[in-house]
Amino acid sequence: MTEPPPPPSHDEGAERIEGIERRWAMVGIGVLLVLVVVAAFAGIHQAAMPQSRVEIVDPLRLHLSGEFIDSNLGSAVEPDGSVTVRAIGQEYSFTPSCILVPRDTPITFRATSADVVHGFLIDGTDINLMLVPGYISSLRARFETLGERYMPCHEFCGTGHEGMWGRIKVVDKAVFAQMAAGAKRVSCVK
Amino acid sequence: MNREWAAILRSKWFPASVGITAALAIAGLLVGFVVLPLADRNEQFHSVWDAICSAAGLIQNAAREPVVQANYPTTRVELTPRMLRGASAESIGRGATLALRCTMCHGARGLSEANTPNLAGQYAVVIYKQLMDFKTGARVSAVMAPLVGDLSDQDMRDLAAYYAYLPRVPASRPAGEPPQIVASGAPLRSIAPCGACHGELASKPGAAWLEGQPFDYLRTQLQDFASGARRNDIGEQMRNVARGMTVAEIDAASRFYAGLRGPTGSQADASSKQH
Ligand code: HEC
Ligand code: HEC
Ligand SMILES: [Cu+2]
Repeated sequence: MTEPPPPPSHDEGAERIEGIERRWAMVGIGVLLVLVVVAAFAGIHQAAMPQSRVEIVDPLRLHLSGEFIDSNLGSAVEPDGSVTVRAIGQEYSFTPSCILVPRDTPITFRATSADVVHGFLIDGTDINLMLVPGYISSLRARFETLGERYMPCHEFCGTGHEGMWGRIKVVDKAVFAQMAAGAKRVSCVK
Repeated sequence: MNREWAAILRSKWFPASVGITAALAIAGLLVGFVVLPLADRNEQFHSVWDAICSAAGLIQNAAREPVVQANYPTTRVELTPRMLRGASAESIGRGATLALRCTMCHGARGLSEANTPNLAGQYAVVIYKQLMDFKTGARVSAVMAPLVGDLSDQDMRDLAAYYAYLPRVPASRPAGEPPQIVASGAPLRSIAPCGACHGELASKPGAAWLEGQPFDYLRTQLQDFASGARRNDIGEQMRNVARGMTVAEIDAASRFYAGLRGPTGSQADASSKQH
């Protein structure tokens, strides 16, 4: 049996504790700084895409007036050459069920839900929104590659959820311009 | 103030820790309310104040340039999940009187003999919505349009209450499995099972009870949704379904709900029960 070491004197103990407290304070501040920097970085580089503007809409009256009436859904060419796509999600389909967009063009998606929460996701891209009844989800995007992509609803929305998905077709600018001429809103619904 | 507090306030750590926490909070607020909103490529803000308000969650609906209006009448009915629940006996009674002018086609107790749809036991919301749509022209029918012109909103509610109250057609389910399109829809073609909306699995407000309707009526409605000749469904929800259906599926689903067996032509009963 060895003798236990003598207890530290009062001053020595206070000094040691202060040293430990200082180090922990540094760690705490460091963690906070890292979190702020990570949130800022992720936000700026679109790894996370929180929407900055809150816009609301009455989900039961979408078809009666405003920008989500049936005849206003689809792709609209804006005066500045960009394209705005308006769509709704509802149990159990997207309208328009086939969205048409031109390649290499700034696109703004504006979408909402007519009933419960639905998901709006375009496969092979980082586009992933939630359609929440009462709120308008909006997002800017740009498509570089031609072709057709799927848009599965990825929020379970009821007994017919498995059948809820749409398509989006990226076509050449010239082809889109041709289709958009005359027609005020375009889609690829047949 | 006790001695402990006095010691805390005198400590050189006190101003330092409060200062650092406050600085972090201010930096965080600046990042969250100013830097991130202004860096967001999804929104263009007119001013720093605009950005701060948006980040704080203030509701700001931007004015959206001209809206393209339909050049045909669209449904004006707003469906709410609880509408037309719990009709009074008085309302049902008034409906019964009003329904005297409908019996010639829809049958004495809402069960029709011809190719006119049965109304008995139909959801009240459906009767009400369809009557409104016939009146506004959102649903086109040369037969029904002249009959609803003088019906008031209350008349339609009473008629809806009356027909919803009548007993349905006795179920005459054909033996065997329902066709694939009815049982499970066609998920690979983005078609949910019919029953997910039409009442067998779940009910969507406005979706009709289909069982017992005449074959020709059902098939015509499906064809019309598919071609766009009927477009009074809110948000194209039924058109989105019908457009993806094949001719054979439209036939099979119509036969199933009409209570007929098997695909057209392949069964002996095909001619006898069909009108
Ligand atoms: C002259 C015959 C006739 C009379 C009278 C008539 N209906 Fe109809 N009704 C029809 C036909 C035919 C249809 C199917 C319309 C179609 O094919 O689009 C119909 C459809 C309907 C529907 C839609 C049913 C559904 O499932 O979508 C309702 C509701 C309805 N009628 C209610 C009435 C009421 C209420 C009256 C009395 C005020 C009435 N009808 C009088 C022939 C008639
Ligand atoms: C997403 C929900 C949904 C699904 C799935 C669905 N329907 Fe419908 N259907 C509706 C709604 C809503 C209406 C009423 C449209 C209106 O407002 O006039 C309707 C109307 C109809 C009508 C006209 C009824 C009448 O009397 O007016 C028929 C027929 C019909 N559906 C058949 C089908 C069949 C067959 C299927 C399966 C292949 C199906 N539906 C799947 C929602 C759905
Ligand atoms: Cu969904």
